[in-house]
Amino acid sequence: MAIILPLLVTITALLAAGIYYRLAFVLLDPKRNKPLRHGRRNPNEPTHLMIVLGSGGHTTEMLSMLTRCVQESDPAQKLHWNDYHHRTWVVSEGDNLSAARAKEFEEMASPLSTQEDLMAGKVRKATDIGPGTYEVVTVPRAREIHQPLLTSPLSSLTTMRACWDLLQKHTTKTREGHGGQAGEKDAPDLILVNGPATATIMVFTSILLRFFDVKGVSTRGKMRTVYVESWARVKRLSLSGKLLRRVVDRFLVQWPQVKREVGGRVEYLGVLVQ
Amino acid sequence: MAQTQQQQKLCFVSVGATAEFPALINTALSADFLSALQSQGYTELLVQYGEDGKDAFDGLMKQAQSGVESSGLKVSGFALDKAGLGRYMRRAKGGSKTMLPGVVVCHAGSGTILDALRTAVPTIVVPNSALLDNHQAELAEALSEQQYVIHGKLDNLGHALQEAEKLRQRQKEWPPVNAGMQRQGKGLKGILDEEMGFLD
Repeated sequence: MAIILPLLVTITALLAAGIYYRLAFVLLDPKRNKPLRHGRRNPNEPTHLMIVLGSGGHTTEMLSMLTRCVQESDPAQKLHWNDYHHRTWVVSEGDNLSAARAKEFEEMASPLSTQEDLMAGKVRKATDIGPGTYEVVTVPRAREIHQPLLTSPLSSLTTMRACWDLLQKHTTKTREGHGGQAGEKDAPDLILVNGPATATIMVFTSILLRFFDVKGVSTRGKMRTVYVESWARVKRLSLSGKLLRRVVDRFLVQWPQVKREVGGRVEYLGVLVQ
Repeated sequence: MAQTQQQQKLCFVSVGATAEFPALINTALSADFLSALQSQGYTELLVQYGEDGKDAFDGLMKQAQSGVESSGLKVSGFALDKAGLGRYMRRAKGGSKTMLPGVVVCHAGSGTILDALRTAVPTIVVPNSALLDNHQAELAEALSEQQYVIHGKLDNLGHALQEAEKLRQRQKEWPPVNAGMQRQGKGLKGILDEEMGFLD
């Protein structure tokens, strides 16, 4: 019997070390492997972008940034929306306004991208994927505006469950390091978030999926994460920012003051909203 | 006699959709501010008072009635506009046959400030000090340091109106034109490209 206690301690220690190693050196290392891509619109390598919207200000800022990107006149900074074969917009349940604004953005950005392709003579039927597809999906609210803090862990779990399913909604039987078959949708390659509670939960859920390498999302380099701190945050990070700072692949702020204050991997590229 | 018709000059006050900010409405309807508006040649004061703000606004209007009458201003209010506030801000910007250039006075919500900056109308931003986490005041301060807006305080809103006339002369462009370090910037698109591993 005397051997059981030391054995348990050793096993626990090894497990903890393993978890730490996997988190620190495999999952949260921004230099971890990315999938190989041959061109932006290779039908054999479909791309999937996930954008998480929040209510009110967060949605406004996200769409303001993206609108500025797709309408940018400088070609080096211009985002071609159709480079992403599939776009998933995540909104909170009941937030019809955000859903409508996502749709409105798609109806502006995708035809704009198509039209520019035609004018530039870029479209080659065999190797181009066209305007791509998008969907607007809902998850339960992480926290109602006046919900007491006591019950919010419970509703956060419900949200997490929905995020877990959502992140696996599209997956493919795949060869190592590649997407699925031509035109097939795969798990998100990139998750773009900017602050609402739902977004924070989405990022942590994606890390959980990568931790267990569910459907190979970790080995295949899926679910990289980009966080943009609100333009309203001049000197200090928001709560979401503090929670996500060390776990996302890229962390952008919009004021030099907050970059100086926080330091580390924080990047400042100027104002991103318009 | 059509050409002698007086041009209008609008002061548009916005408190945001949700956060209640009765102190700003209170100040906007105070005798001091009304006479400051009058002396700057304003003819109209329009207040967006937010959801559930109607009762408070009507009450304050009753109190301010004598001041409003003596100022000769046309004062009115509305709760919210689902189509956004851009329309009102463009009216306040003026510069047409019927509208002289006016001013926007607003709470420090980022959405409202961005609307005003894009419209390029002189803007007085008044942070709500009753909010717990007052990062809004930092935003107003930082923007006024760079002379994009005027950082207004409830006790000197009349003075801020004069400042607004000066700001009008050197209204800055929004979003900031690529300059300095932002010129070489890769922007959000560059970051997304790097993360996707696009090589071209």
